Amino acid sequence: MTTSTPRVQAAVKAPTEQTQATKNRLWSWLIFLVGALYFLIPLATTFYWSLRAEKGVLGFEAYRRLFADSNFLPSFSESIVNAITAIILCLLLIVPTAYWVTLRLPKLRPVVEFITFLPFVIPAVVLVFGLIRLYSRPPLLLTATYDSSRVLLVCVYAALSFPYMFRSVDNGLRAMDVRALTEAAQSLGASWPTILFRVIFPNLRVALLSGALLTFAIVIGELTIALYMAQHTLGPYMANLTRSKVYEPAAMAIVAFAITWAALGIIQLVGRGQQAQITGGH
Amino acid sequence: MAYLTLSNVSKQFADSYAVHDFNLDVEKGEFVSFLGPSGCGKTTTLRMVAGFETPTNGSIKLDGIDITDKAPNQRNMGMIFQSYALFPNMTVAQNIGFGLRVRNASKSDSSDRVREMVSLVNLEKHVDKYPFQLSGGQQQRVSLARALAISPDVLLLDEPLSALDAKIRISLRAQIREIQKRLGITAIFVTHDQEEALSISDRIVVMYDGNVEQVGTPFEIYNFPKTPFVANFVGSLNTAAAEVVDPAKSFLSMDGVQFVSAAKMDGLRKGDKVRIAIRPERFSFASEQKKANVVDAQIENITFLGSVVRVHILIGNTKFTMDTFNYPSLELPRIGATEQVTCSKEAVLILDSADK
Repeated sequence: MTTSTPRVQAAVKAPTEQTQATKNRLWSWLIFLVGALYFLIPLATTFYWSLRAEKGVLGFEAYRRLFADSNFLPSFSESIVNAITAIILCLLLIVPTAYWVTLRLPKLRPVVEFITFLPFVIPAVVLVFGLIRLYSRPPLLLTATYDSSRVLLVCVYAALSFPYMFRSVDNGLRAMDVRALTEAAQSLGASWPTILFRVIFPNLRVALLSGALLTFAIVIGELTIALYMAQHTLGPYMANLTRSKVYEPAAMAIVAFAITWAALGIIQLVGRGQQAQITGGH
Repeated sequence: MAYLTLSNVSKQFADSYAVHDFNLDVEKGEFVSFLGPSGCGKTTTLRMVAGFETPTNGSIKLDGIDITDKAPNQRNMGMIFQSYALFPNMTVAQNIGFGLRVRNASKSDSSDRVREMVSLVNLEKHVDKYPFQLSGGQQQRVSLARALAISPDVLLLDEPLSALDAKIRISLRAQIREIQKRLGITAIFVTHDQEEALSISDRIVVMYDGNVEQVGTPFEIYNFPKTPFVANFVGSLNTAAAEVVDPAKSFLSMDGVQFVSAAKMDGLRKGDKVRIAIRPERFSFASEQKKANVVDAQIENITFLGSVVRVHILIGNTKFTMDTFNYPSLELPRIGATEQVTCSKEAVLILDSADK
């Protein structure tokens, strides 16, 4: 009977494991490449298309025309104001709720999660008709004027961003020992506002920022609800643009992508330092 | 009048009591430990003192003032947590100065106090570091400095050493005790580690299942446990069933082997069943010195534990362990041999209630 020593077994095993690892790496790269192409080819062709506004020349004419359009900047700025207001409203609602659920009412988490998930499962068209029916008659008449409709639109945007903001904030809260931090601050004499603004919020910086930027990304180009509420925001503007122009919609899409990517880049940049602070960097 | 008084304090969660009828007087400057296994109610009691839990019944008084319903941020108690609970977004100096800032202390007062605290815990080189840049021991020292910076009326320590490795645990507990003595601060320390409690405390409250089993100095708790639980929980212990032979002379019989105890047997009669307890280190070989009890013991096994040698013996039909110091001239018996072992009257304890 022959027996192989562990060293011999290891020597036989090592090349096989190495080959397997190389194979796995190759597959990973292949999948990554296919995914990247699937994403990048439409983007590249859109970008290419946006550069062809002038006959026979590749240039930024479509972008120039887009920014020169008198309707672009008002709708863009209106969307930005709407997005920022929605973010503030959403933060004011979600952060204290998520904090209190984590600290005092963990049993309520599934209920809150379900409620914040609702905007995911209710189609925008259904949502907007429901809202128009509810808010177009007294005592909750909010669709009578452009400005009151805008207030309603901002509230709806805040609700639409609940799933992103809650998950983001909830993950941030789970990453730190909320209870111990709160109690430590309390024992040192801190009041609730002090605890929230000096201890909890600064440690939720990344979570709040990711929630806020995701909200921004959704709201900035939102079409369905803004259209039905007759708002002059970026979504309806883009829709109009596709009906009447050829190259400008492609330029607009690239601009929207650039804004979203910039937002994601900021999340990455800010998040790098804070992750080590919370989880420890040893 | 005691400085901190807990009177008939109970805490009920749903149907069960986490703490039941807890009474304790703590003197100013005293270091009291709550000792017990997980779930015995020691942390809940501490949290009631801190104000994080409200007692279901009873009252808590500090310096004669009822603080039972006061919010935690109005109690002026410094708390140290097992997880350190340092604010990750603040440096060491900012963490220590946090309590002073929320009390609206002036900038100069605050920075003087922070410097004082930093030097107290020997962290001068780390003031500008963030918690994640410090070791566990350093983080807990920051936590201690932060709790002391506000000059608390009572310092509360919730298993502060449990997350640290053994060496740091020992040195930090000595440092905590030294600082507590130097500042003369009243401290309540929660631990499940008997060695920690014995080494650091003026008094120990041993808890089990929400009840106080015994309150006493470390010496009293170790040498004169009042209940079987305390006897078993604190230190190693041999226990055995015995029968009262002569209550007047405190004679007992265990498996037909006679023992004499120094314990009074008031209320016991001849033939009553009791449980006796003898600590392993109270036995010695009779060849060295004979004490009040000399009995035959069969040597079953011998285990070296470094500075101590543990001898497993059989007295009658009951297994005991006997600890003896390990020194070079020690002559150990042969396994299987029968030797005479001895212990004093005081070593034979009679446990006054049923086993837990």
